[in-house]
Amino acid sequence: MNNKVMGVRRCTWVYLVLMFFSFITYFVGRLELSGLTISLFVLLLALIKGQLVGAYFMGLGRLRGLWRWPVFIWLFIPGTLISIAFYLSA
Amino acid sequence: MQEQVIDTSDVLHDRHPPGDLAIWIFILAELSVFAVFFAAYAFTRMNNVELFNEFQQHLDRQSALLNTLTLITSSYFVVRAVAAIKENNHKLCVNWLLAAISMGFLFVVIKSAEYAHHFGEGINLSTNTFYMFYLSLTFFHFMHVIMGMVILGAVAIKAKNGGYSDIEHTGVETGASYWHMVDLVWLILFPLVYVMR
Amino acid sequence: MTYKSQSVAKLYFIAAIALFAAQILFGLILGLQYVMGDFLFPHIPFNAARMVHTNALIVWLLMAFMGAAYYLVPEESETELFSPLLAILMFWIFLVAAGLTVAGYLLVPYSTLAELTGNDLLPTMGREFLEQPTITKLGIVVVALAFLFNIGMTILKGRKTVINLVLLLGLTGLAVFFLFAFYNPTNVVLDKYFWWWVVHLWVEGVWELILGSILAFVLIKVTGVDREVIEKWLYIIIAMTLITGIIGTGHHYFWIGTPEYWQWWGSIFSAMEPIPFFMMTVFAFNMVNKRRREHPNRAATLWALGTAVMAFLGAGVWGFLHTLSPVNYYTHGSQITAAHGHMAFYGAYVMINLTIISYAMPLLRGRNAANSNKSQIWEMWSFWLMTIAMVFITLFLTGAGILQVYLQRVAENPQPFMVVQDQIALFYWLREIAGLMFFGGLVVYIASFFVGQDEPEATVAQS
Repeated sequence: MNNKVMGVRRCTWVYLVLMFFSFITYFVGRLELSGLTISLFVLLLALIKGQLVGAYFMGLGRLRGLWRWPVFIWLFIPGTLISIAFYLSA
Repeated sequence: MQEQVIDTSDVLHDRHPPGDLAIWIFILAELSVFAVFFAAYAFTRMNNVELFNEFQQHLDRQSALLNTLTLITSSYFVVRAVAAIKENNHKLCVNWLLAAISMGFLFVVIKSAEYAHHFGEGINLSTNTFYMFYLSLTFFHFMHVIMGMVILGAVAIKAKNGGYSDIEHTGVETGASYWHMVDLVWLILFPLVYVMR
Repeated sequence: MTYKSQSVAKLYFIAAIALFAAQILFGLILGLQYVMGDFLFPHIPFNAARMVHTNALIVWLLMAFMGAAYYLVPEESETELFSPLLAILMFWIFLVAAGLTVAGYLLVPYSTLAELTGNDLLPTMGREFLEQPTITKLGIVVVALAFLFNIGMTILKGRKTVINLVLLLGLTGLAVFFLFAFYNPTNVVLDKYFWWWVVHLWVEGVWELILGSILAFVLIKVTGVDREVIEKWLYIIIAMTLITGIIGTGHHYFWIGTPEYWQWWGSIFSAMEPIPFFMMTVFAFNMVNKRRREHPNRAATLWALGTAVMAFLGAGVWGFLHTLSPVNYYTHGSQITAAHGHMAFYGAYVMINLTIISYAMPLLRGRNAANSNKSQIWEMWSFWLMTIAMVFITLFLTGAGILQVYLQRVAENPQPFMVVQDQIALFYWLREIAGLMFFGGLVVYIASFFVGQDEPEATVAQS
């Protein structure tokens, strides 16, 4: 088995994780759970999903240097700001 | 399988992201617009928590979930398309791309139905701050889905005409990167606007 | 010069520079009137001088754009201009119309001009930057249509490149949005709303396409970098320009009676407007660093790089300063706006036109590639004089603006407009001095066309 096939297989796993996390997010919404902890948990799931998409689907995870980081930074900054805003309004 | 081929696609080896560097500059620019929008949403919500919580309940979470699944699936199909062209399999690449575009189309249909429902209730940008953000954010993203479909369409046509190969497939990766960006934005948008309260 | 018909550009460029000089002269008069209110009154009142200053700017920029298009399109399309005669005819119509309009501003009161030109038949006058009599506006439409026809036919029969298509898109947009100058609803909100479709969608929309394509053209010529690389950049720059610029119009809709969502749309999208300008800066320096040849016209390269930097500072940074609605709540219509306006117009549109003139004029005047060294040195001096003067004008106006905003709008006991104006007079004097320096730069610039004529062309070795 060569690495390309491994790469695709890994993306398939990532895909399943993404789907699973999305369902969790949906059920949190459906159960109308609310509060700071819940919100931050859902946000964390979303940030992980984003990082998975960046690292595996976009392929940034196997880069060296600066280009490894833009999606991570992009998730980090709004993620932090959103957390602060929700923390302050809780 | 071709075990003798030394493939390094899994190893840390490259300094440049897949696809054209120009599309990455564009992606970064687009992502920053969305980042500002997200932060603006969160901080405006801070001063209107009750309003936001109340009207969030009126959104159709089921459609949002479906749309999340279509975009993730579509993104995955694009990954397969890139993998296919790396194996020099044009036909498979085109098929995966078409599958991805149809998922994008499904997104557009579901989202349009949601809009139709809201507009039918007489909701518009001036209804309240929550709807202003909801409509602006999702519509701006909606336009990106359409643009992404156009880009994937163009790539698919070129792929169909044999414009790419296992050696030269920057175009496929370029389109793929843009499409993943569209997915990425929605992954944050979905919990932020539909679920977090 | 590859094609004979490119020579029509020369007429446009010369007239543009003449109008540029007129604009600066009236700028100096205005600057003095800020501190000596009755200077030249009643012969040239402030309002008339202001109209000449702004309208001369717009007209000379349009003239230079047309000149640039007449120069660039045949070369890009690899064919002669569809009709050089039409281009020359339109030039004279445009020039005479512009001259008559300026004469009208200066010789008769504005209301008399409105009466004389039959404004009541189709009222379009009396709005900032669109003060031209209706008949002049109609003239502009005729000239623009003939121009588009000429350029469009040339592109149609020749090679279609990204550069000339983007240019054509920009020029078409320019003509289309100008049509809103004829829409003059009685509702003041609607009036302002669509007025910005001309003003904003020109300078923060379609003009940027023109700017991008001219810059790309000159960079291909002076750097020898592959067309494909440059075109790719052009694509993402214009895409970003349109995404941010079109909705960015909203930053003019904060306080004119439009719905509240414009506060958000305008703030967010216009805050992103510096991005395409920043890309342009990165693009220009990248291309020059990757250059495959040394072009003997160093002055043109300097103007091109200068455009990229100053456009980013003037349009990007100074625009961002007051584009967010909570900030703009205090700053709108103050000297901050004037500071931004001066540097943005100079950095983006004056400089891009001087770039293409710098590149094309030596060729139009029979040189092979560039002017003599002496002439280029004069030109580069004028670059620094004008650019540094403009930086100072901007800084002084920004200082004036900050003080004005504070005293008039933020302070606990806000003071009336005229009282505040007296207190910021020092900044206006400094601005006027910087203005004189700019004028000096302009004199050197014009002189650079006349010095070193009999000297040999600059060569690469000498640089």
